[in-house]
Amino acid sequence: MVAPAVLVIGGALVVPALNLIVQSFLVSTGYGGVAYHFTFSNYIDAVRDPTYQTVAWHSFGLGAAAALICVVAAYPAAYFISFKLHARWRNLALFLVVISLFTSYLVRLYAWYTILGSNGIVNTALIHLGIVDHPLLFLIFSRWAVLIAFVNVFLPFSVLMLTSAMQNIRPELLENARDLGAAPARTFSRVVLPLTMAAAVGAFVYTFILTSGDYITPALLGGTSSTSLANIVSDEFVALGNRPGGAAISCVMLLVFVIVYVVLSRLERWKGI
Amino acid sequence: MRRISGLGVYTLLLFLFLFSPVFVVVLFSFNKTAGLTFPFHGFSLRWYRAVFSSPVYRDAIVASLRVAVITVVVVVVVGTLAGIGVTRYAFRGSTAVRALLLFPAALPGLFIGIALLSFFVQTKVTLSLWTVTLGHLVYVLPYFFLVVAARLQRFDYLLEEQARDLGAGPWTTFRRVTLPLIAPSLIAGALVVFSLSWDEVFITFFTIGAQNTLPLVIYSTVKQSVDPSVNAVSTLLLAGSLLFIFSVRRLVVDLQQ
Repeated sequence: MVAPAVLVIGGALVVPALNLIVQSFLVSTGYGGVAYHFTFSNYIDAVRDPTYQTVAWHSFGLGAAAALICVVAAYPAAYFISFKLHARWRNLALFLVVISLFTSYLVRLYAWYTILGSNGIVNTALIHLGIVDHPLLFLIFSRWAVLIAFVNVFLPFSVLMLTSAMQNIRPELLENARDLGAAPARTFSRVVLPLTMAAAVGAFVYTFILTSGDYITPALLGGTSSTSLANIVSDEFVALGNRPGGAAISCVMLLVFVIVYVVLSRLERWKGI
Repeated sequence: MRRISGLGVYTLLLFLFLFSPVFVVVLFSFNKTAGLTFPFHGFSLRWYRAVFSSPVYRDAIVASLRVAVITVVVVVVVGTLAGIGVTRYAFRGSTAVRALLLFPAALPGLFIGIALLSFFVQTKVTLSLWTVTLGHLVYVLPYFFLVVAARLQRFDYLLEEQARDLGAGPWTTFRRVTLPLIAPSLIAGALVVFSLSWDEVFITFFTIGAQNTLPLVIYSTVKQSVDPSVNAVSTLLLAGSLLFIFSVRRLVVDLQQ
């Protein structure tokens, strides 16, 4: 009974993924061609190339910043939803979070495009009010635009993860802490924070992976100043026809994601004990 | 008391930040004039008329519908079978199968898209809506599987035994007992799958052929020019991606068990 599903995932994901890994060790022979010789040079090229290095720092840095902002910004809201709202309002709030999570990713990006663009709402308002004479072009096509959109798109996930972790904290624990004389800040840092750390790490890693591997947001809102790693991978494949090169870069990215995940979850567990 | 209201105000602002950009798009999709500027000049449906009279948008809507519907049908059949198989029979390797079926959800879309693209190029498969559909299948199967497996976990198999005792064959038992009981969850899962496929842009970007889906048309239109009808077509995309809402209640019940 499970055979069809296994076949779908196996045939349309596991095989292509393994194929990609194999390709990353082959030699590219120009446009789209591949020679079947084992080589490690794609990896060396990928890691050594100064342009790629700059873009990699940029992509991973932007992803880490977005993930950190999401988790930190989500904490107060998750705390409020979990502990300060009555059940009915809590359910409504969670419902809204789920809605925003499912709200079309592309539409949200487009929304920021219309808000920050040169003919967008912010600029026309500023000109209308006489604050500036010309549209501020740095609003869009910048890292800041990409960062704002990332936070807007991925924040609901952090809120959801943290809220569901906080729902598992028994309210008595918070009352006990308060009865023992702990200030709210101390209760938060000593009770709530440790008990939700695993969820926070999960939300951080998820957001980090999806943002630093994103193609669409930097392409729409980043302008020429912010090429993304995903952009480079796609260029290697589509424009340059260098499949082994693109495969190597995406394998390096995947490796970084795995390392970030393993290190953070180890750290969390180690600190948790 | 002051602290509490501070947190409340913060949460309210956070919700405003989450929803106001999308609200702007929806509002301006009904705008009378082409500008994206306040004050709002009044309601009209002209941008929706523009969308439906444009062959590019119409084709894209049809293409997206086709991909989403085929994805839903295949995933419901394949995913339900897998859900029953994994939850009912403790066979050797059932944990491995479960892990395999959830595995795509842990992969970044870029990796799935690139892996598929390079595989299709290498095996000389022509990129088309079918390759897109295959990509979507892989991407959405874990989510559907999760929903169905959660429902089947708390399924009372005694009911099936009783049906058998009363003389019903395996097929009749499935059709008359099992299916009606799990149907609400299947529908909920199917709506989630539809929403995900309808809005998918990342894997689609790499696996698309000559025919574009709706998200890709929006993406390339936005990149090239300012076209107010994008507001209207975005609102349609939004409506499709929020179809799952009708199933939220059922999902919450299933996944909390």
